[in-house]
Amino acid sequence: MTTHEPMSHDQAIELLPWLVNESLQAEEHSAVSEHARNCVICRRELEELKVLQQSIDSAASQAVLPEPDMRRINARIDQDLARANSGASILAAINDFFRSPWRVAFAVQTLALVAVTFVWLQPRDVEPEFVTLTTPQTLPAGQYLRVVFDPMLDEAGVALLLDEARLSIAKGPSERGVYTLRFAEGVSADQQTGIANGLRADGRVLFLQTVEGTVK
Amino acid sequence: MGRKNSKSDAARQAAASEHSLLAAVARRDRAAFSELYRTYQPRLHGYLRRMVANVVIVEEVVDDVMFVVWTDAKKFRGNSAVSSWIFGIAYRKALTALRKEGRYQAPLVSQAGEHAAAEGAPADLELLHAGLAQLSADHRQVVELTYFCGYSYQEIAEIAQCPVNTVKTRMFHARRRLKLLLPQLAGEAGEQNRDHA
Repeated sequence: MTTHEPMSHDQAIELLPWLVNESLQAEEHSAVSEHARNCVICRRELEELKVLQQSIDSAASQAVLPEPDMRRINARIDQDLARANSGASILAAINDFFRSPWRVAFAVQTLALVAVTFVWLQPRDVEPEFVTLTTPQTLPAGQYLRVVFDPMLDEAGVALLLDEARLSIAKGPSERGVYTLRFAEGVSADQQTGIANGLRADGRVLFLQTVEGTVK
Repeated sequence: MGRKNSKSDAARQAAASEHSLLAAVARRDRAAFSELYRTYQPRLHGYLRRMVANVVIVEEVVDDVMFVVWTDAKKFRGNSAVSSWIFGIAYRKALTALRKEGRYQAPLVSQAGEHAAAEGAPADLELLHAGLAQLSADHRQVVELTYFCGYSYQEIAEIAQCPVNTVKTRMFHARRRLKLLLPQLAGEAGEQNRDHA
């Protein structure tokens, strides 16, 4: 008397290969075996599979297999272990190094120094300003003079004239030779007028104009 | 763990022993690895030789499989047989080898015939090798693992990492195809023999 459910033909014929190789669990084994006893198709199939399995087992028992040669695998394992050991020894060295607080401090200091140097060596983002004589410049509000000197007057002569008049170059000369001049600090408004008039009268000055406020 | 042994006490002891060996391998025990290698090398060699034509490549793949065993032993969770785990690695390595260029192709019919004949295999086995060579890799694997390695369909599902029904379906189709192929191959072989005579 069986205790299991009868197995359908489709289920049983599907499992015949594993009945033949004797890997079915006990319950499945008896269910498939029982079905095969009563089913002509499965019985025939089972006989064929058994013959085949016997042939395979017989051939396998006769087969000559090469002796295990572990030289290559051992070489690979040696390499693997060497790699692992080298990694471990580096870690151990690092671990030893950091046991001393002085060494930790030294390492931190060195790292900080390297970081600062690195930052310092970075290219600056600020672009240098490119200024030409025609680049518009805004001067702070004040009293200025726009002057064109005699072209025959050399640089030293201009400097002497400006010293005498207590003036300095705020801007220029422009493309057309116009200087914008600033009065020295402490020069009163009357003195400024006097200096301007004196320059107008000076033969070395071809043109003079007073400018008040912001100069561009 | 495979045919006939799965239920016996000896098989259970062997399985426990293999678990211990693998645990020792995970602790980098070379002696344990050597023992495991000597146990599995012949089985893997036989299995892979039927899957991959070139003997030199077979030896390389066996070593590749066992090297994975060495490196990944600590990843083995113990919820399957060691044998299934190792053959699972071999299965994937074999598929990779088969998917590679022509030199990795499955044995041709004539090669399979020579191979089987050289082993003194019966004629029907010779034909089976020739027929297997014409199956898809997935179908051939299921037949190989069942008839040649003695695995249960559950173990094959673990090895191939697929549902058990897929294993049954693959086997069903493989058997049906072999039933068509084998008489044809037998006929061709008969004609060849007559021609030689």
